[in-house]
Amino acid sequence: MSFEPKILGIACNWCTYTGADLAGTTRLHYPQNVRVVRVMCSSRINPSFIFRAFQLGADGVLIGGCHPGDCHYNTGNLYARRRLATTKKILEFAGLEPGRLRVEWISASEGNKFAEVVEEFTMQIKNLGPQSKLKIQQ
Amino acid sequence: MTDFKKIEENLKTEAGRLLKEGLVTVVLSYGKGFDENHPMPYAAKTIADVENIVFNQYCNYNMARYLVRYPQGTKIAIAVKAADSRAVIQLIQEEKVKRENLVILGIPVQGMKNPKTGEVIDSKTTCGLYNPVLYDILLGEEVHGQKNALPYEVLAEYEAMDKDARWEFWEKELNKCIRCYACRKACPMCYCDPCFIDQSKPKWADKAPQSPGNMMYHLTRFHHLAGRCIDCGECSRACPVDIPLYLFHKKVAKECEEMFNQKAGMSIEDKPVLVDFRVEDSDKILE
Amino acid sequence: MLKKTAIENISQLAAVLMEKGTLLAPVKEVSCHNFAEISDPQKVDLKFYNTLMSPKSAFFPHREDFVKYKVGKPLSEAEHTILNLKPAFLFGVRPCDVKSFEIMDIHFNAAGIIDPYWRARREATTIFGYAYDINQPVDSADFYNTLGIYAADPEGSDIFMVKKDKELLLKSITPKGEKLLAELSALEKASSGDEKYYEDYIKKGKDYKTRFTCVDSEVIAKKIESIFDNTDFWTKMSAACLSCGICTFSCPNCYCFDICDDTLFGKGTRSRVWDACMFTDFTLEASGHNPRTQVYQRLRQKVSHKYSYHVRKYGVISCVGCGRCTRQCPVNIDIYSIIEAALKA
Repeated sequence: MSFEPKILGIACNWCTYTGADLAGTTRLHYPQNVRVVRVMCSSRINPSFIFRAFQLGADGVLIGGCHPGDCHYNTGNLYARRRLATTKKILEFAGLEPGRLRVEWISASEGNKFAEVVEEFTMQIKNLGPQSKLKIQQ
Repeated sequence: MTDFKKIEENLKTEAGRLLKEGLVTVVLSYGKGFDENHPMPYAAKTIADVENIVFNQYCNYNMARYLVRYPQGTKIAIAVKAADSRAVIQLIQEEKVKRENLVILGIPVQGMKNPKTGEVIDSKTTCGLYNPVLYDILLGEEVHGQKNALPYEVLAEYEAMDKDARWEFWEKELNKCIRCYACRKACPMCYCDPCFIDQSKPKWADKAPQSPGNMMYHLTRFHHLAGRCIDCGECSRACPVDIPLYLFHKKVAKECEEMFNQKAGMSIEDKPVLVDFRVEDSDKILE
Repeated sequence: MLKKTAIENISQLAAVLMEKGTLLAPVKEVSCHNFAEISDPQKVDLKFYNTLMSPKSAFFPHREDFVKYKVGKPLSEAEHTILNLKPAFLFGVRPCDVKSFEIMDIHFNAAGIIDPYWRARREATTIFGYAYDINQPVDSADFYNTLGIYAADPEGSDIFMVKKDKELLLKSITPKGEKLLAELSALEKASSGDEKYYEDYIKKGKDYKTRFTCVDSEVIAKKIESIFDNTDFWTKMSAACLSCGICTFSCPNCYCFDICDDTLFGKGTRSRVWDACMFTDFTLEASGHNPRTQVYQRLRQKVSHKYSYHVRKYGVISCVGCGRCTRQCPVNIDIYSIIEAALKA
């Protein structure tokens, strides 16, 4: 059986989540590997969410926020950018593949981009294979 | 360099003067322990207490740890070595203490030793500075002309490792952890109450010292100290099972410096990098 | 019965013990020694002063699972953990640590509620006590003399070992030890010279001095009770305390634990995990109220429990003076100095 990765998607309410909705309403096809959780802003994402997701069996984490400058709360994603960049460096130094965490800016009108990113990221995780380092063995 | 005895004298004189003149209510410095090789952090509150102040090569504690114990507004004098002064600056940046409530007694010193191993503490496990960055009163001559390895040189070996080898290394090291939390308690920057690991809702990790919980605790702690760690090495010295925590902290500090162009605890004008942003920050850092 | 072996052949003895059951012995870690279950007899290393962590984990592991359950399934389907213990050999325990087992026994195995896990492990285990090397300097943190324990006290061990140059003399103390020692054919018979050396060593152990203060359990219990409200004293003593848990975790006599239910993916375990009175959340109540929020209150609790409450409840001080808390403390807080100061307070 081919490897079907489990990907956690965390999307901001105002842009990426709406973008994902648009992808749905325009009937775009994209892989079903992403389970999307909605948060109010990308800066709501606690780095522990990401560590915990990997521990609970996620093979990849995809984070979506508004384009810099377009944040509903003006500056949320600018904080998130710095924070998530740091998270990536930490995962990398701990020995995980940094490619398992991806941050994308997807606006409410970019349904296409959402579908593309999910497709691309799913392929990327498929290439990386299952994430077994942080995963808690059942 | 001014010798330890002289620094101790200066420390006593200044502490005595500050307490006598009523400029401060407490002097955070070093005091006698159960023997000479084991001094203790010490809070002198009366002129009589000043007698108990000592300073020798084993006084490596970062006294900034104790600043947040006192209510805001308390006038405090604090003895700091190079890295410790950076911790004070960082705490001022984070508004845990106010500059005007502090009298900073700077100690320029080199050759401090780890009492457990007897090893000299140098840039391998700390930031490798000898002179305090910020002080009101300097208790000795500044140390100059000392050749010193750069603080991040020690990382090269680990950065060169294959990611799987690095994972193996950290898994082995972090699984030694017995979760006594000496690292976070010794850390001047770890002042959260409650710490995320003590929360029960959400519960981030098991209480038992096992792999998933240990990973969660340490990775998150490294993240919480990103751009704030001033590389004093207290966590690693406090660790009873000798986990080289300083390596990870150094790496994160180095990355933050490269990404955000700012070193932690160097100026009280700065803001900690992760509670700050620049519109011109590049998306490249996310790649 | 007295037998002997060359210390360099210690791995042979270890191999024999491993055939008979589980062997727990000191092994060298990066910069310290610790007790560990031995899988390679070569790893047993007796070149240690004392281990970093106390050997209490042999009977009272850091985490002990009680029940495994599944979410949504009836209680009757939950499984109790049953200990299937092989005979165990706890090898190379210093006399002060041996004494700590007796003190812990009162709590877990004698006073009212019996802890079946402790008892099962205790009964399955044969203890090889190991005298301190009286030719080496004593560590400045130790104070077991204060608690009436000496460097070569065989009391409490099943078999007691002393070092004679490059040899190890093993003396049986209890019938259990006698029986085991008789079976250990890897050992040589000891000569009458060895007998004399052993007897002398035990006597000389009394002259191997650690820090000492005259502490009568009743007197100190009363004294500590009387200074309970002396906040100044406790604040002073705890001024440096970071309130981490290393003193209690490394202590051979600290037995506080937390019962944790950890559920993940619908499966759960109820387990007992060490806890420390130095942690802020140790006394945190469900209401949010915490009766011990200050560092001084927690340090006072630790000292009072060992030197006062334990005496009131069980008649003995719950400390053996092994010096671990002092050695491991990141800020060199010394319980011996606190007791000394308390007596003067």
